[in-house]
Amino acid sequence: MKKTLNINIGNSIVHIEEDAYEILTVYLNEVKFHFAKNADNFEIVTDIENRIAEMFADIFLVNQKQVISIEDVQSVTSQMGSVKDFQSEEEEQEDVTGAHTSQVKKLYRDTDQAVIAGVCAGLAHYMDIEDRWVRLAAILTVLLGGSGVLAYIVLWVMIPKAETRSEKMAMRGEEANLKGFANSYLHPFVNQSRGVLAEAFELLGRFVNGTGKIIFKVIALLIIITAVLGLISLIIAIVTLMGMWDTDLVHNFPFSIVNDEYFGMVTLGALLTAGIPLLALLLFAVRVAFTSRPINRTFSFVLLIFWITGLGITIYHVAKIFSEFKESAEFSQSTEVKPYSTYNLIIDRTRFFSKEDSTMYNIDPGKYMGRKILTDREDTFDMPRNVSLSIVKSDNERVIMSQNYSSRGKTFEDALRNAQNIQYSFVQQDSLLTFNPALQLKRVSNWRDQEVEFVLRVPVGTVVKISKEFSRYLNAYGYWDCDHEEGSDFTEWLMTNDGIKCRHEAISGTDK
Amino acid sequence: MMAENTQTQMRKGILEYCVLLIISKGEIYASDIIAELKSAKLLVVEGTLYPLLTRLKNNGLLSYNWVESTSGPPRKYYVLTTEGTGILNQLDYTWNELSEAIQTAKNVADKQSTNPINLKK
Repeated sequence: MKKTLNINIGNSIVHIEEDAYEILTVYLNEVKFHFAKNADNFEIVTDIENRIAEMFADIFLVNQKQVISIEDVQSVTSQMGSVKDFQSEEEEQEDVTGAHTSQVKKLYRDTDQAVIAGVCAGLAHYMDIEDRWVRLAAILTVLLGGSGVLAYIVLWVMIPKAETRSEKMAMRGEEANLKGFANSYLHPFVNQSRGVLAEAFELLGRFVNGTGKIIFKVIALLIIITAVLGLISLIIAIVTLMGMWDTDLVHNFPFSIVNDEYFGMVTLGALLTAGIPLLALLLFAVRVAFTSRPINRTFSFVLLIFWITGLGITIYHVAKIFSEFKESAEFSQSTEVKPYSTYNLIIDRTRFFSKEDSTMYNIDPGKYMGRKILTDREDTFDMPRNVSLSIVKSDNERVIMSQNYSSRGKTFEDALRNAQNIQYSFVQQDSLLTFNPALQLKRVSNWRDQEVEFVLRVPVGTVVKISKEFSRYLNAYGYWDCDHEEGSDFTEWLMTNDGIKCRHEAISGTDK
Repeated sequence: MMAENTQTQMRKGILEYCVLLIISKGEIYASDIIAELKSAKLLVVEGTLYPLLTRLKNNGLLSYNWVESTSGPPRKYYVLTTEGTGILNQLDYTWNELSEAIQTAKNVADKQSTNPINLKK
């Protein structure tokens, strides 16, 4: 049993077996190629096709057949003569010879040698290397972050399977002429699939292709919806960002990383870099869902160029901004704290009105100058956590607070300037040490990893009461690590010879 | 190899002439031309004829008419144009000359083989 095709040759319909069709196609292509340089090529080829159709009609009539087989095609082509015969009989015989030998390879999936779906084997054929190296590379990409899995699936969907003999030959870069065909019949394409795994994936592929197509389309529709929503929100986000250009939002983290003068370009770059893959995903999903090609090749090429441009812009600016993190600088100052046996550490949520506040809340600064406001936010949102305090043992009886301000910048001077721009301090009121909730900048500037590190040195025996709110700023000792009375807002700590300890533990420790 | 090459050249030279001769007998279909050429053992493969016919037609020596066929697509029937007839006459003349030349050469060769002294005359 063989599969047959209907072809239209010389305006008549002919039933032809699949393998015979392949040979005939190759033959006609050779003929077309041979006469391609001839001014009358169309007429000549038409004449030849008509003649072949006539010969087929004779075969049907004489042999009482219904279908053209390989033998018929071979007898017809030998009667018609091969391109070589034409060459030897023609005047301009020198012009064709060289061009015909190099067959361009085409990328197909080689399911005959597949482990999963033949993507690697196909790539190996295409790049003319052994398939094991491609597989090794594929496994590496899977192990390193798993990007290979996605790439494999995408390639699986995109690359067509080499089904017919001529496709398999094009995949291997064999000449798709009669000689190549003869070769391929002598050395048939053996199915060397690597056992169960490939079979299973083959089945899976068939399922996805067949019954699974509906599921596939549903998934594609979901992707379309998601991608459309993503694109809309991206556009809204960009428009919002553009609209908020001059307002305070751009001075909040993470937007404050980007220098004002780059802001427009970075936004554009980000839009292109993020939006185009989203758009491509959308178009691809449309293609899968509706099995139609929504855009042509040129447009997708233009999209690719835009994406690369966007990526370039983004990378350029990211690199530029990164360079502003190159050097780090820090300076410290020490303040002597009046000695008390007990200290209370608290966060003060009140702060003075700043110029930014007045613009943010649209308040006339002249009227409220010098008044305090209460922030209702748990943590100011401008920057990542950047204030920390540690409590260590003092070598002498003095109580000292060292304040360490650090930042990054393009040069050391820049970094130092950024560090000096930090405004953060504490206030002592008897035994009460009050800290700001977050560091602030004296003048508006970009986020350059500004940090404040306070170290409080107290002599042994000093009790430190840390408010619950404050313990978040502490290095290494938390509110929950230390027993405290039910409902109490603070934990009590004691400085011992071994450093600071929770007071209960320290006392029970000395009891034993 | 040498002989083969010369043979090919010879055939190629007279193929055109023969095609014109065959067509000159009256309106004729390409596959009938092929059949005649084959019986005259002038043509090895059919494919060579089509470019030749097209070239002759484009040079104004031939023209063709589409004739409906009972079995299959309409066929091209070739006829000689007046220009073609003129050229054919010239070729006839040349062919006669050639065949005389060959005949003479053969006769000379024959005589030479029997009587070598004749050559000096």
